[in-house]
Amino acid sequence: MHRISNTPIRALAVSAAGLLALTGCADRQGDDETADFPSEDITVVVPYDAGGASDLAARTLVGELEDELDASIVVENRSGGAGSVGLDHLAGQDADGYTLGYLPVETVMLGHQGYDIDPSDYEPLGQIVSVPATIAVPADSEYETLEDLLAAAEDEELSVANSGTGSIWHAATSALNEEAGTQLDPVPFDGGAPAVTAAVGGQVDAVVAGVSETATAAEDDQLRVLAVLDDERADAMSDVPTAEEQGYDVSIGGWGAIGAPEGLPDDVREALVDAISSAADSEEFVETIESSGNIAVNVGPEEFQSFYEEENARFESLFSE
Amino acid sequence: MSAVAEGLGALADPTVLLCILVGALAGMLVGAFPGITATMSVALASAFTLTMDPIPGLAVLLTIYVAANFGDRVPAILVNTPGTPASISTTFDGYPMAKQGKAGIALTTSAFSAAFGTFGGLLVLIFAAIPLSRMALNFGPAEMFALVVFGLTMVVGVSGSNLLKGLAAAAFGLVLSTVGRDPITGAERMTFGVLELSDGLPFIAVIIGLFGIADVFDQMLTHHAGTATAIKNLGRWMPNRSERRRMRKPALIGTGIGAVVGALPAAGGDIAGITSWSASRRLSKTPEEYGRGSVEGLTAGDSASNATLGPSVSTTLALGVPGDSVMAVVIGSLVIWGFNPGPGLFASQPDLVYTIAGIMALATVLTLVLSLLRMRGVSKLLELPPHYLWTVVIVFCLVGTFAVNNSVVDVAVMLVAGVVGLFMRRLGFPAAPVVLGLILGELAEANLRRALEIGGVSEILTSPIALAFLVVAVASVTLPPALRRLRRSRRRDRRPVS
Repeated sequence: MHRISNTPIRALAVSAAGLLALTGCADRQGDDETADFPSEDITVVVPYDAGGASDLAARTLVGELEDELDASIVVENRSGGAGSVGLDHLAGQDADGYTLGYLPVETVMLGHQGYDIDPSDYEPLGQIVSVPATIAVPADSEYETLEDLLAAAEDEELSVANSGTGSIWHAATSALNEEAGTQLDPVPFDGGAPAVTAAVGGQVDAVVAGVSETATAAEDDQLRVLAVLDDERADAMSDVPTAEEQGYDVSIGGWGAIGAPEGLPDDVREALVDAISSAADSEEFVETIESSGNIAVNVGPEEFQSFYEEENARFESLFSE
Repeated sequence: MSAVAEGLGALADPTVLLCILVGALAGMLVGAFPGITATMSVALASAFTLTMDPIPGLAVLLTIYVAANFGDRVPAILVNTPGTPASISTTFDGYPMAKQGKAGIALTTSAFSAAFGTFGGLLVLIFAAIPLSRMALNFGPAEMFALVVFGLTMVVGVSGSNLLKGLAAAAFGLVLSTVGRDPITGAERMTFGVLELSDGLPFIAVIIGLFGIADVFDQMLTHHAGTATAIKNLGRWMPNRSERRRMRKPALIGTGIGAVVGALPAAGGDIAGITSWSASRRLSKTPEEYGRGSVEGLTAGDSASNATLGPSVSTTLALGVPGDSVMAVVIGSLVIWGFNPGPGLFASQPDLVYTIAGIMALATVLTLVLSLLRMRGVSKLLELPPHYLWTVVIVFCLVGTFAVNNSVVDVAVMLVAGVVGLFMRRLGFPAAPVVLGLILGELAEANLRRALEIGGVSEILTSPIALAFLVVAVASVTLPPALRRLRRSRRRDRRPVS
């Protein structure tokens, strides 16, 4: 299980030393930090269990990142507390680039839900995945369109399953209520799969879950996906209209970024941002993520930072109600 | 039939066979390590198998799944430490047998029962996947709640000689199950600000503490008092004819119960094992032996918890919904390999279903052979002087518990549970009801609250399945004592007449 490969590290050290000798006269900035990074193993903290969607995204990226950085990278799963345990751990690590983390959308949500998590403790280095929300009903449901469902939910409470209290899908249900003035009643389950099952079995009126979670059941005609809550349609279900196309301006979903504890040295940060961007563009990464039904993206830190702050503000107002 | 030939033909590939061998060795190793669950090892392996072709990849994952469930039994029998919740019931009779110098028979009986149960479960996968998965779909929050309430009545069975103490232990377990964030509102309860407790007490740590660590503590204390009885004598290895005969009925009961429980999403080997152990005890001619080293009890529990494997896979494939946490990982891999689990899979790729069943069958046979060969080696461990053995057990428990979540809090919980377990043992409180309360309490609360959220009380009262389970639950607690009283009073009535 140890992926320690000595040879590349040694090769890197030798070449780094050579590089240092070359650049040493021309550029005084070339001190040990730039040229040496990374000179030891890097750890990527994933705040969820091994085997889940976040873990998959992180591990697939890490596989590519190892080649880009020519370093050994260890994925460490620290799950618990809706992701707060791992995020808390990450915030407490040295900002030297040797401890990175997978930052899920929960990074900007948990702080508004009573967890001691502050988004400004982290420095996002690039977004790598996006998981649009979908809303779906059982295949034999009387609701054919999003409008049917929301019209019915104006007069009576309709039960809508989600993967857990305070999850992004729970928040997405609230966002729909806010936009349409409806009474969708979020029912938290213990994970995305049980929530989808409850809808397939007709236990609830609808389910809000990620594209990858509803796509499989929809293909088998067990679920009818009424809308994708994103700006664009999802490749995995190109015939399903977005909520916006149906007249409801709701765009919400999960995302994942790679980040570090706040305060990285500039040169280390630069090296990481470049490497993450190349890894996120690699065919291997894009293919694995897309085949799991999610969307591989590559958004640089500057553009992502403003989105990160917008999302933080959005959840602050959504949860304060 | 060509699908059968095609599906099983895929197994003739030497790569696949090699993968099964690798999976079996890895699975048995992790299974024997307390704390490291099948879920965790399959999850870690899946990161590597994703780059393989689907069939060899599945061969590795499914074999680890089967083998880890086998390996699990060894520490449960030898040192009273269930490797995972699925082998809690193994400790009930397995450990007493070992203490009586029958560790050899206990290990073999357990291995054969596990293999028998696994094969029974595979029949479900092959023949009844679709209808069984339909049934599983009918289990919503209301039905799950009722099922779990029924499960809680098993406390009576696992309480041992003192029912009151058993009930008190179960109540303690229920209280512990409320630690963590409220399942519906997310409000913090009894976490004392410890972030790691917000998902509730880590129950693997609690189980290892209450059983294994408490036992080691207990032995250390009695050893100093000079009364320790180390397991030296392993006794015979093969069960004799009368023992084999006594294994038949509990094996069938266990396999049947395991097959049904395994098909339900979110219910697994722990519930199956305990339910089957209690059911078999009720139907036995020698119920008084249960919990004191009964071959029947060991067989019932182990066949049931392993019989959940096949149906769990079949629910996963037929519904596209994981039957247990290991299957949640497998489903992720299947989707990435381009398979589409769901009812369509059985129509479009029946050969895949046979390949999967074939892999699991081969894995079972291989693991059975390996366990029988390996057992003598493993049980050498017991020839260690007790103080070395205790050290080994404690180190294994520490490392295993830490590895589950990379969490020191889990290790602390385990040690505290060890001390609590020691006191309970000294005061005559059984540990199993605590675990039952902890695991089932969480499920009962979350599902009840969900059901109420969805449709209020009528959600439960209008569900025939839920009602049936609730009635059976009430009856199983009230009927036996009522019948006993009735019989006694009849006897008294008759006496003056005769």
